[in-house]
Amino acid sequence: MKKHILSTHELDVGYGKKTVVGNISLDIERGRIVCLIGPNGAGKSTILHTLAGLIKPLRGNIKLDGNDINKIKRSEIAKKISLVLSGSEMPNLTTVYELVSFGRAPYTGYFGKLSKKDHEIVKEALLRVGAYELRDRFCSELSDGEKQKVMIARAIVQQPELFILDEPTSHLDISHKIEVMRILTALTVENGLTVLMSLHDIDLALKYCDDIIAVKNGQITAYGPPEQVIKNGDINKLFDVNNAEFIETLGSLEIKGPEKADVFIVGCGDSVYNLARTLTRNGVGVSCGIMHETDVDAIICSITCSYVAKAPSYTEFTSEILSSAKKEMESCAVVIDSGFVRNNATSFNSLLIEHADKIKKPVLSVSDFQNNDALLQSILTLLRRENK
Amino acid sequence: MVIGLTKKIRRTAFLLLIGLTGAAVVFILNIILGSVNIPLSEIFHAFSASDDKTVYHKIITDIRLPRACAALIGGSALAVSGILLQVFFSNPIVEPYVLGISSGASLFTGMVILIGFRLGIVALGNTGMFLGAFIGAMAVSAIVVIASQNVKSITTLLIIGMMFGYVCSAAISIMTAFADRERLASFVIWTMGSFSGFSWQQTILMYLVISPVILLSFLLSKPLNIMLLGEEYARSMGIAIKPFRAALITVSGILCAAVTAFAGPISFVGLAVPHIVRLIFGTQDNRIIIPASCLYGAIMSGICDLASRTLLPPYELPLGAMTSVIGAPILVFLLLNKRGKDGRF
Repeated sequence: MKKHILSTHELDVGYGKKTVVGNISLDIERGRIVCLIGPNGAGKSTILHTLAGLIKPLRGNIKLDGNDINKIKRSEIAKKISLVLSGSEMPNLTTVYELVSFGRAPYTGYFGKLSKKDHEIVKEALLRVGAYELRDRFCSELSDGEKQKVMIARAIVQQPELFILDEPTSHLDISHKIEVMRILTALTVENGLTVLMSLHDIDLALKYCDDIIAVKNGQITAYGPPEQVIKNGDINKLFDVNNAEFIETLGSLEIKGPEKADVFIVGCGDSVYNLARTLTRNGVGVSCGIMHETDVDAIICSITCSYVAKAPSYTEFTSEILSSAKKEMESCAVVIDSGFVRNNATSFNSLLIEHADKIKKPVLSVSDFQNNDALLQSILTLLRRENK
Repeated sequence: MVIGLTKKIRRTAFLLLIGLTGAAVVFILNIILGSVNIPLSEIFHAFSASDDKTVYHKIITDIRLPRACAALIGGSALAVSGILLQVFFSNPIVEPYVLGISSGASLFTGMVILIGFRLGIVALGNTGMFLGAFIGAMAVSAIVVIASQNVKSITTLLIIGMMFGYVCSAAISIMTAFADRERLASFVIWTMGSFSGFSWQQTILMYLVISPVILLSFLLSKPLNIMLLGEEYARSMGIAIKPFRAALITVSGILCAAVTAFAGPISFVGLAVPHIVRLIFGTQDNRIIIPASCLYGAIMSGICDLASRTLLPPYELPLGAMTSVIGAPILVFLLLNKRGKDGRF
């Protein structure tokens, strides 16, 4: 048994004469979850189909457990690689149990008769994905989440060393996404299987995968553990994201707000970001501060807000930051008190509120309003008056 | 073990038994009933005393018996041919008739009947015509097989098959423009399909060709089952797809060709019986569906043949019309009332 379950060397994949992704050299280590990410049409599926042996490579070779995949019999490949494709239609009038037992095909005899051991393997796989109670249902009657679990059970029953899945989480709700990822993680940890899949859910990819393969413009642009290959800003470049930014720290997308600030929110910690989201999505530009740069507020507001007064973590706020914040506040029409906790640590924010009173800026306090929407209405009224 | 399994097996066995009984009953009815009323005593007599060649005896042993036998196996062959094509194309409306295999047979027969096609100076007799129809059907199957080795998409393949069917039909209709009336009439009768006038020789030949091929198709049931998941999954589970494609179309082509050559193009049995059987048995497992379709296909074509002979004697109604008239309502009824409300089949 080789350390690498699958290796490719200068592999070109594509259809006919058209290369979709070129020069792929990968060494997939056993027991890892490896994830292909990249924009639609980048060729993730083509790579997976080629690695599964469904499409012939245009150039280069693929080694499965050290042997050239072209020289292995299809029935032998079937015992090493199992496949879960995206959006496959389920046959009608076929029960879950029947469908899952199809996975035993590489092992059963001429008529596909299941032995007692085969039945045990099928049962175990159904239990494992939590679909045992579905066993007598017809596949065509299942929900998308149930279908995916059943297809994974079918793949498990094939007892492969390598799992190849194309978009296993698409069309699933959050809990089913997590469920699918949990099942796959357990397979790698408990059974030493290797999982290779494509994912559109970047946050899941960053959190569940041991290795990330980024694909763009016909090549592999990054390959390695997520923390090493995905730096802040990489995802935005990979997907050409506009008007929004992917925050790698949180694994989520944040929408950019207007570039000119109308409102200054005084706050820190986690008191600002919800209000900032409400205001910016209604077209009100926001500045905010003063906070430490690892505050959730700072992480989110650095994208939603046009200006954030912030200091490095575990450092004292300086008078430079304060005066910069004051200057920004002066250019805004309205100041909002986010209701931050008043203590020594937030004394600079109290100073900002005092400054707002001094320069006669209208100060609205979040605690005076029932909800963010009510606050928004007051702000909009003030801004309208200001414009006149 | 799954609890529901034994119950399912019992149900399947029961339904197969019904099929077997049904086929036997239809077979017997086909011998007893006909345009000539033969008393039951004479029928028993015909079987017991072989030396007594009465007219009744002759009708029974030389006309009704071979015809009944032919109708049974013909129905089985068409039904199995339909299953194979439906699974292969993952398409519920495929049957040999749709795919142009029947049209290939019709084209050759048309050439013989309509324009008196000769091989050298030898006029083709009945046997030649059967052979021609067989070759025609196999030729279209062969084209589809060759295409299947080079075409990736199954839908494309389906379209290629259908296009060949259209070309054959077009050639036939062009020939009809030149044909004289008498020939046209006899060709039209042939295209309606019929099991009438089967000699023992033909019937035996039909059994010799069809039985081993049906057996062979039963041996394909494991890969056929896996094909239900689609071709990519089938390949990922170790099925060598190209040889399998070739085997499937060849087997299905032979089955269709054998029936069409002898009985003319018979539509609808290949389409309807597999569906009816899937719905009745509530499964797509081809290890069950193939033998079941043999039985129910035999019943269906037996009933249709009986109806075509006995509904308006002495006229014989076209068999193709009977299969549609009897099969379509059954299929629609089952579809509306049973499980197949969603999905592909």
